[in-house]
Amino acid sequence: MSGEIEISIKNLNLWFGNFQALKNINIDIPKNAVTALIGPSGCGKSTFIKTLDRMNDLVDNVKFTGEIIYKGRNILDSDTDVVELRKEIGMVFQKPNPFPKSIFDNVVYGPRVHGIRDKKTLHEIAERSLKGAAIWDEVKDRLGESALRLSGGQQQRLCIARLLAVEPDVLLMDEPASALDPIATSKIEDLLYELKKDYTIVIVTHNMQQAARVSSRTAFFWLGEMVEYAPTIDLFERPQNKRTEDYVTGKFG
Amino acid sequence: MARNRFVRKLNELRRGVIDMGAITLQSVKDVLTALETSDTALAERVIANDDKIDNFDRKIESQCVRLLALEQPMAKDLRIIATSFKMITDLERIGDWSVDIAEEVINMGKPIRIPVSASKFNELVADVKAMVADSIEAYTQGNVQQARTFEARDDRIDSLYKQIVDDMVNSLAQGKCSTETVADVTSLLYVIRYLERIADHAVAIGNRICYMEEGERRYLK
Repeated sequence: MSGEIEISIKNLNLWFGNFQALKNINIDIPKNAVTALIGPSGCGKSTFIKTLDRMNDLVDNVKFTGEIIYKGRNILDSDTDVVELRKEIGMVFQKPNPFPKSIFDNVVYGPRVHGIRDKKTLHEIAERSLKGAAIWDEVKDRLGESALRLSGGQQQRLCIARLLAVEPDVLLMDEPASALDPIATSKIEDLLYELKKDYTIVIVTHNMQQAARVSSRTAFFWLGEMVEYAPTIDLFERPQNKRTEDYVTGKFG
Repeated sequence: MARNRFVRKLNELRRGVIDMGAITLQSVKDVLTALETSDTALAERVIANDDKIDNFDRKIESQCVRLLALEQPMAKDLRIIATSFKMITDLERIGDWSVDIAEEVINMGKPIRIPVSASKFNELVADVKAMVADSIEAYTQGNVQQARTFEARDDRIDSLYKQIVDDMVNSLAQGKCSTETVADVTSLLYVIRYLERIADHAVAIGNRICYMEEGERRYLK
């Protein structure tokens, strides 16, 4: 952890129609670290993470106020190039979603969209990205096979490789391991540990032990509010807020 | 309230530690009565009683391990288990020091003759006994204010300990003791050393209670 701030969220409010889903959120996301978001279903954590790469724009009637400062600019500004933004801030979803294409074509999909055609370059990108996502050894001899033949855990790491191929700065992960078995989950967790050296990671998880294991800071969301944001060990060992205490001890939620 | 089963198990754990505290305290009280009255039969009972303390230690240790492994406790639940896990070692050690004192009582086997101020010695005994009782009460009540007083009280005990040791060493050095008294003084030097150690464990328990209740880490100086 460098101590630098990658993304600074200031007074963020978000509405879907008349429903306010996020209420005055203020968080600084540290660079090259894993930040975990926890909270009961419907608390706003997924909405929050989607705001960081403007995925909520796809929802009708969405409206927001406040600032998300990244690289010196407010990404909520209407003139933000969201395609470029999503190259810098990429997202991995709960359910692995590889394209029905070969493993190789999946990984180089992004670079191709961004105009790279040279085969040697694409192969280098594929190898580097698959290695970065700790799946290279498992797929290097079958890059031409359909990605859909991979196991769920492998598909999820392939999706991470696909993200790394466009060289983002920030990886957003919305419950990336919740559909995986314990061994596949631990591979993703080990991977997070490696990836945080080079990337800033924000992860939404329902699994508090996972949040405790992988992150350096954790934010607890409840009914659209960010109730507590602290170093992970403090939040789980000695939370300051009664609602955090009740949630992490399983007294509600 | 969710997790009823877990909450019940946690309450059982706390009750076990309180029960272990009660029989450990009884050992301390009994051995100090045995010391005062040279009651070797009572000293023997303290030694026999130590098995019960050890059994509590083993039982509570495995309860803690089970809760940690199966329930993934967090926040205060986690701190209660971590505190109990460590505190039973303090209680078990207090039990062992009581046994060591009981063995000295049996060794002496008769009313003791001490060449030092009885009032200082009685004060030390009373302070240590009260600290052990208060540490168990503070755990039972989750009383942080009380737990925070232990370090200052221990400073007083340390100072009394040093004064008594100095007095004894001086009387030995000045040749004021008969051969028989020299043996008693040696035994008593051990006894007050054990008492001083018991007080240290009571302070450790106090510090653990602060952690359990408020997440504040305090360590023995």
